[in-house]
Amino acid sequence: MLEGKLVNLRPLERDDLDREFQWVNDTDVTRYLGMRYPVSKAQEEQWLNSRPANDFGNTALAIETKDGVHIGNIGLHEGQPENRKASLGIMIGDKDYWSNGYGTDAIVTLLRFAFHEMNMNRVWLHVYAFNERAIACYKKCGFVIEGTLRENSYREGRYIDAITMGILRAEFESLHAKGESDA
Amino acid sequence: MLEGKLVRLRAIEPEDRARAAAWLSDPEVTRYLTYRYPSSDGDWMAGPPGPNGYANGVWLSIDTHAGEHIGAVNLHRVHYEDRKAALGIVVGAKSYWGKGFGGDAVLTLARFAFDEMNLNRVWLTVVEDHAAAIACYKRGGFQEEARLRQEVYRDGRFLDFVQMGILRREFEALISKGGSDA
Repeated sequence: MLEGKLVNLRPLERDDLDREFQWVNDTDVTRYLGMRYPVSKAQEEQWLNSRPANDFGNTALAIETKDGVHIGNIGLHEGQPENRKASLGIMIGDKDYWSNGYGTDAIVTLLRFAFHEMNMNRVWLHVYAFNERAIACYKKCGFVIEGTLRENSYREGRYIDAITMGILRAEFESLHAKGESDA
Repeated sequence: MLEGKLVRLRAIEPEDRARAAAWLSDPEVTRYLTYRYPSSDGDWMAGPPGPNGYANGVWLSIDTHAGEHIGAVNLHRVHYEDRKAALGIVVGAKSYWGKGFGGDAVLTLARFAFDEMNLNRVWLTVVEDHAAAIACYKRGGFQEEARLRQEVYRDGRFLDFVQMGILRREFEALISKGGSDA
């Protein structure tokens, strides 16, 4: 369990299925993500049940409020041991918890784990250029805009740009003093 | 077979592998690649696990018009919905460096990507200090889109990478201006 100020990050469990199934089929949620195709409950259950153990290459965690409400998922993917980098992905599936700092706290908590426990040097992500709320959140966490990937994705009938962002270990250290999660 | 002005791109054959292995044992060649661990068999350039196409990507050997095998190009991470792919190239025969063969191979493969595969975007990443390659991609119409800080660890330090991209309409504008002979 990774403890933040507003949230805890814990492993995904089989009984998270009903919520996961609902979120990955909610277009209000998936329009900001790479997901497109409808997912059956059986497929989602198989994904939950067949997930390998969290490790350097791939880590996926459930985001829970301090009251124990599961509101979304967060993960580090594509971990590369030589380059000591990974990509970060996050989904707040429970829309009641949008724009209240839960995502920011989850990200800072996972970044601390990435830099202090996994010994990463760089964490990066892509975000659709129209997702201004997410970009502001990533900036607050310390991510820096590194460029714009033109027409990187096709969604909702048009090509859209992606913003590529990254944070280095040294930047995280100077922003977030050890042991604090004050983002 | 894809015909360029200086090169021909053709499917990879088993006998290409010995040359690939020799190139990949040359640090002057590999210093600009993501290839890292020594390997005896040239597997890294052996091509896709199945036929060329959207599912496996496109992997081709570069021949000069005289029939000399000098390197390889590929389109990988081909994305069906976003209609984009990443481009990679190795010119292993060093006597052909700096003479336009790599640039012609890139343009020839980009033309195939847009005109035959119906892609909308081709992108690549290149190590920041590889000025010759960055200049070559710019001549081919690629634009710098991002600087990925400390993206790759090589030779005892983290290196920035430059990400570049070209869109179909940009490629077509370049070709119609006669810029295809970059």
